[in-house]
Amino acid sequence: MNRKVSKFIKDYRVLLLIVLVVASITAISTMGIQQGLDLQGGSLIQIQLERPVDAATMNTVTSVLDKRLNIFGVKDVKVRASGDQNVIVEIAGVQPDQVAKIVGKPGKFEAKIGNETVLTGSDIVSVQSPIITGNEWEVPFRLSPEGARKFAEAARGKAGEPVKMYLDDRLITSPEISAEVATGKPVTDVRITGAENSKAEAEVQAKEIETLLKTGSLPVKVKIVGVSSVSPELGKQFTEGALIAGLLAVLAIALILIVRYRSPLLVLPIFFTTLAELILILGAAAVIRWNIDLAAIAGILAAIGTGVDDQIIITDEVLSGEGRRTRRKFRIKDAFFIIFASAGTLIAAMLPLAYIGFSRGATGIGLLAGFAFTTVLGVLIGVFITRPVYARFIETFNVAMRK
Amino acid sequence: MTLIDRILKSYKLLIAIPAAITLIALLLVTFNGLNESVDLKGGTLAELTLHKSVTQAELESLLREKLGTGDVKVLSIRGERATVQFGADLDVVKVSEALRGTATINSYKSVGPVLSRQAMNQIYWAIGFAFLFMSVTVFIIFRAPVPSLAVILAAASDIIIAVGGMSILGIPLSLASVGAILMLIGYSVDTDILLTTRVLKRRKGSINERALGAMKTGVTMSISAIASMAALYLVTVFLMPEARVLSDIASVLIIGLLADILTTWLMNLGILRWYLEVKS
Repeated sequence: MNRKVSKFIKDYRVLLLIVLVVASITAISTMGIQQGLDLQGGSLIQIQLERPVDAATMNTVTSVLDKRLNIFGVKDVKVRASGDQNVIVEIAGVQPDQVAKIVGKPGKFEAKIGNETVLTGSDIVSVQSPIITGNEWEVPFRLSPEGARKFAEAARGKAGEPVKMYLDDRLITSPEISAEVATGKPVTDVRITGAENSKAEAEVQAKEIETLLKTGSLPVKVKIVGVSSVSPELGKQFTEGALIAGLLAVLAIALILIVRYRSPLLVLPIFFTTLAELILILGAAAVIRWNIDLAAIAGILAAIGTGVDDQIIITDEVLSGEGRRTRRKFRIKDAFFIIFASAGTLIAAMLPLAYIGFSRGATGIGLLAGFAFTTVLGVLIGVFITRPVYARFIETFNVAMRK
Repeated sequence: MTLIDRILKSYKLLIAIPAAITLIALLLVTFNGLNESVDLKGGTLAELTLHKSVTQAELESLLREKLGTGDVKVLSIRGERATVQFGADLDVVKVSEALRGTATINSYKSVGPVLSRQAMNQIYWAIGFAFLFMSVTVFIIFRAPVPSLAVILAAASDIIIAVGGMSILGIPLSLASVGAILMLIGYSVDTDILLTTRVLKRRKGSINERALGAMKTGVTMSISAIASMAALYLVTVFLMPEARVLSDIASVLIIGLLADILTTWLMNLGILRWYLEVKS
């Protein structure tokens, strides 16, 4: 028996599994597992551009959005392009209404005298912090010398006329041209002002205008086409629920295997193999910083489910064979034919989903990419790493187990 | 002759059972149709935590009035939890303002028409290609048309029966249930490959003996998968009703796996025996 144990442990597949399990546990405890937004709570906002754009324009769009959200004080934001027409914004913690307010605007600034546009967003060089006095707010900003000259020319001799300042075609303020400006002398320091119902509202409004002015305009019109968000409390509940469900699922499987095989010596290795598989999947996810969300959990469950199936196949193949060594080897080969064939079909079935997920990002069915990815990852880990070890175990100890 | 022998003898008749169930499922889907979730038909679904007790009608009329849309449906109120569905993709800003003082949003999902159309389109492609790739793999594995077709047919039956079950139970077609259907393609083929390999490749024992051995293994596989999905279903339904993603996946898989027991051991096995009989 001892000889068998040391022979089993020295097998390269067993050693590999031990090393990988240790590495995975280290990876999980040092790097942590990144939880998807539905588990940690957060919002996912899907934005569609007016038309497909090239990579450079897409870059501008994502960096403008990113800058805006940062300025607005939204933390833990990820802005990424999805294909050539969609942008996905992920935020930890729930503030979808704030984000929706700030993201969906092109941020186009225009100042008009009469019907003539005299200033645009590109004339702005810097924006100062807003000043709030009671319910009134003002956002000072500086124009480029070129912009100031343009403005002065247009304003010459028009004292008393209003300068209408628009943000996204919304009239924000319309100060009158002062006598000084009407002389045609260029002024670089300008301000937008307004009044709200309360100080808090004034602060919000001023911050929004500051942000939009600061980050310039988006090159294309954007529209929010989908919002999905989960509160942190609910996310925590999901995580706990998933853990309980996983535990119960394993117990249910163990119960059925005990009824079928009536031998704890057989059920325990299946349990440990399954556990090792789970650790390896999570370890791999930690290393590549893959998000574990509800869909990914379903994928892990699927992979583990097929793992148990495979171990049942191996067990039955070996137990139904005679005790002779050569025969047993044969049986395990047969079992692995079935295992590889079913792994092949499962991966084939997941490929289209994974492809859509990677090529289109997390829009539409791409939200299930995590599901496809974890299933494929789990199945690969299973067929190449954990299940061979289980087979080796059964092969080595099977005589002892048979009554 | 034992009962099992007698049953195995009339295998051609037994093929009719899963075939009939598949047909019924197909008719159900055609005439009863499928619900579509917010993912696919567009709209908004919000889970709320209520701060004061309101009735279904009160909450509905409050939202109708403040949002200026008639398309509001309060799906359920249980304790301080409420689920509300809106017909259109609503601005989350407006919804949270309308709810101010009454409730806060726990989870919010809004899908615009562009996105839902895109998702629906992708679903057809994903399922179609998944099935095609699976079929090609099966052909590569067995390299014999009849046994391969038997496996593919059994998988198709499973999916149709699972979708039929969704139609009866009102499980909506959603990204989650599509995930379950794709998972089912993989799961259901497992037992079929086991059966086909054992019956065609093994030399020892009669066809019936080989089939019975495979059945013992295969049914253990199916039952353990069903048990784990039942655990998932019970936990999600009782502990976290908001995680509909998981309970939908579990229920679709349970139906599909139950169907798989019939399609594998009655239909696929029946076709295999028929095939071997004609061949010999």
